[in-house]
Amino acid sequence: MNPGKASGPAVRIENLDKHYGTFHALRKVNLSVGRGERIVVCGPSGSGKSTVIRCINRLEQHDGGRITVLGTELNDDVANIDGIRREVGMVFQHFNLFPHMTVLENCMIAPMIVRKLPRTEAETTARRYLEKVRIPEQAMKFPGQLSGGQQQRVAIARALCMQPQIMLFDEPTSALDPEMISEVLDVMVTLASDGMTMICVTHEMGFARRVADRVVFMDGGEIVEEAPPEEFFTSCRNDRTRQFLSQILGH
Amino acid sequence: MVSLLRNQKVRNALLQVLYVGALAALVLAGVVIARRNLAEQGITSGFDFLYKSTGWDVNFSLLPATANDPYWWFFLIGIINTLFLGTVGLMLATLVGTIVGLARTSSNELARLLGRTYVDIFRNIPLILQVFFWYAVITHLPTPRAAHEAWGMMLTSRGLYVPIPNVGAIAFAAAILAVIAAIALPVWLGRTSRLSQPFGERLGIQLAAAATALATAAVILALGRLPDLPLLDFPALQGLNLKGGLRIPPEFSALAIAIAIYGGSYIAEIVRGGFKSVGKGQMEAALSLGLSPWRVFTLVRLPLALRAMLPILANQYVWLMKATTMGIAVGFTDFFMIVALTINHSGQTLETIGILMAGFLAINLSLAAIFNRINKAIALKGNQLRA
Amino acid sequence: MEMVVVAPPAPGKVEDLKRRFFATPLQALLSLMSLAIMAFVVWKLLDWAVFSAVFTTSGGPEACQAAAGACWSVIAARWRIILFGLYPFEEQWRSALACVAVVVMTVLSCIPAFWTGRRIALVWGAGTALYYVLMKGGVLGLSYVGEEAWGGLALTLFIFVTTCLIGFPLAVCLALLRRSELPWISRTTALIIDGVRSLPLISILFTFAIVLPFALPQWLVGDKLYRVILGSALFFSAYQAEIVRGGMQGVPAGQEEAAMALGMSYWQRISRILLPQAMRNALPATINQFVISFKETSLVVIVGFFEILASGNAAYGTGEWRFAYVEVYAFIAFIYFIFVFSLSRYGAFLERRMSVGER
Repeated sequence: MNPGKASGPAVRIENLDKHYGTFHALRKVNLSVGRGERIVVCGPSGSGKSTVIRCINRLEQHDGGRITVLGTELNDDVANIDGIRREVGMVFQHFNLFPHMTVLENCMIAPMIVRKLPRTEAETTARRYLEKVRIPEQAMKFPGQLSGGQQQRVAIARALCMQPQIMLFDEPTSALDPEMISEVLDVMVTLASDGMTMICVTHEMGFARRVADRVVFMDGGEIVEEAPPEEFFTSCRNDRTRQFLSQILGH
Repeated sequence: MVSLLRNQKVRNALLQVLYVGALAALVLAGVVIARRNLAEQGITSGFDFLYKSTGWDVNFSLLPATANDPYWWFFLIGIINTLFLGTVGLMLATLVGTIVGLARTSSNELARLLGRTYVDIFRNIPLILQVFFWYAVITHLPTPRAAHEAWGMMLTSRGLYVPIPNVGAIAFAAAILAVIAAIALPVWLGRTSRLSQPFGERLGIQLAAAATALATAAVILALGRLPDLPLLDFPALQGLNLKGGLRIPPEFSALAIAIAIYGGSYIAEIVRGGFKSVGKGQMEAALSLGLSPWRVFTLVRLPLALRAMLPILANQYVWLMKATTMGIAVGFTDFFMIVALTINHSGQTLETIGILMAGFLAINLSLAAIFNRINKAIALKGNQLRA
Repeated sequence: MEMVVVAPPAPGKVEDLKRRFFATPLQALLSLMSLAIMAFVVWKLLDWAVFSAVFTTSGGPEACQAAAGACWSVIAARWRIILFGLYPFEEQWRSALACVAVVVMTVLSCIPAFWTGRRIALVWGAGTALYYVLMKGGVLGLSYVGEEAWGGLALTLFIFVTTCLIGFPLAVCLALLRRSELPWISRTTALIIDGVRSLPLISILFTFAIVLPFALPQWLVGDKLYRVILGSALFFSAYQAEIVRGGMQGVPAGQEEAAMALGMSYWQRISRILLPQAMRNALPATINQFVISFKETSLVVIVGFFEILASGNAAYGTGEWRFAYVEVYAFIAFIYFIFVFSLSRYGAFLERRMSVGER
């Protein structure tokens, strides 16, 4: 039981099913993500795209099918869940930074108490990643003192400090003012060029075109279409996809 | 085994069973030990004792009570005493609280200062200290022989004596109900048709209703009058003691005064909060419609403020009901004091504690039910923006 | 370009007064009434408490009783019993020091620099330990004084502090259990909390002091004082648990999710992420609860403790000072007032400060 050592795809999802009460949120979703692959998931709201990636680190519990992350199956075994969460980083729509800690502390706390890194080592790691997201000078500030774009970059740095093998992005730019979107996307592009395995739920089609290996379109809890970006944007087969694309690219 | 413990579902089930099981075991062990200890003292468990006579008396009761009455009767007396003291206390407290609260929201600086001083002083002194204080004041009043007298009432260290009509008990109760109706009817009538009738006409109907109810009360009193006695029975000195009239014992007065003053300071804050929550916009809108300040107050400000106050007020009333248990400090036989006396005299500890819990649960739940109904009846329909 | 500013004629003092207090006939009436009430009460109070009062013990109770005003000599004669109860006379300096320790501890915990779990626990632990050693003695050359001799203000403070010390962690536990995702745990805890809240404090104190010994094995019965403290702590925690839970509900769900996604365990999430934020949200209500609980310590007089109220009753109840009950109660009320008023002012100050911080 040591996630990461085994070979095979980074994430494999087979026949995933999920209900909220009587609402059938996910219907037999199948998705396989290779190591180093960049996937962009899109689709209308309520299509289940966020639910899929939240199942990957067990923020949501699936009730049918199998999820295997880095060779470990995600089931009721508590140790498996802990192990997988350590290897999978996540960035949220609303940043979810810890408001009672400084930016630096936000980045240091998990490595220190989860990975048991000594303080000095955690701090050098944290400063390195803050440098990477281009806000080293904000380290001693509190999240409330930063702009939305800066906060989201701190959130990315915080997730990276755990040195995860997979990064999940849940609509990272949806809560941002338009002028701050690009600074976050730039960081994500750099990350992609470093070879990180990434699954991004986003409507930023420009980003998808630039970095994605595959674009996945979901609607009504199902994967409707799955294709490399150039194919996805130019010759998609499905009506629903076409309608969605025309709405989102628009005018 | 180890892998089973790592399973989330197994873990969750185990935790729940352990928690509930441990608590149940704790309670059960307590009951078993208590029963054994009590059995050693020759006390058998069960509720048979409720039908035995108590052998002791209560000092305050609205119902006839003697030392020969059974325990269940005394519990009933206790509950009624608690409800009676609680009701009197919360009515007085509401009266005090409304006056002080209005002073605190008034536009007059001096009135505000006065209200604030009142709240700051009486809120910050424990209720039981105030109870002790008033009890000491009343019991240090002159003896009946040197009583203060005013309007036929006598103020003595043995209590306050007030004149009482010479009528039968049932007629007296009916008359009180009629008087309550005289107050409640106009309010109810005013609620049902607020704006559909002209103001003057509505007032007329309300006054007529009140007058009818009061007249009924007078007729009931006249019919139920005891023969060959004057209508009012005045207290008078006979030998060393006062005879006649109704004696309000010092225990009751001390508790009622203290609850009125202390509770009033809390209710004043609730009243103030309620008025503060009414948005300026609504009042300005009403004023700009050309309504007079008085009608803005009765039609807009008061109804909105009442709605905001009610839930908090309900909590405060429940608290005041529970505060009647301070009766034991001065020897007023409320429900809790009856419970304590029963444990002392009969030794039926577990059963009596059970009755105590059930009694207070019933009081709390019924108060909550009443307030929920009122709340629902007056709640603003739909999701209105309240600024 | 030069601007000519025509200043309005400065309103005179008289006009100002007129505008503020006598704008309309109704306002004028209100002002006059309030003024009359204030003048009457203040004059009566001053006359009673200062001008016609007796301050010295020289004349004895007789001279005092003859005076028209307050008889403060009773306080001068009996303050020791009110503050320290039946604590041995020569050792009462220890009782006084213990009270100071508790006050210092309370003041320290009002300073934001001490608002971390460890520091606050350290301050309260040290303060209570110091109090206990000073009062009980038996070590460091201090003579032994059993709990039955503790009394007055010192006992009141002890009951308050230990109630909070036990009740607060218990409240956090209850709040966590109540918001548990496991239905049986949360429901059972809700039952306990609501059950305790529906009962009057006096009945709980009575049960713990007088009934509980029946239901406990001999070796667990312990001193009545500690049983009553336990009961009072249970009552405190039932109310405080709901306050803490309210504070937790104010923490966005995303906070816990983020902590989960970083791989933190349940206890790490609770202690590092949830509680620090929840406590901050719950702070004003918590201080209010402390205020209420301080006032409620006075109820232990009913189950037979010699705290400040009972010692006050004793101070005037016996013998020559029988008439001076108003002065004694005024003195005790004043002591309570100082503690409660300053705490609740502090609470109001915090609330204001925090609501400014949010903006």
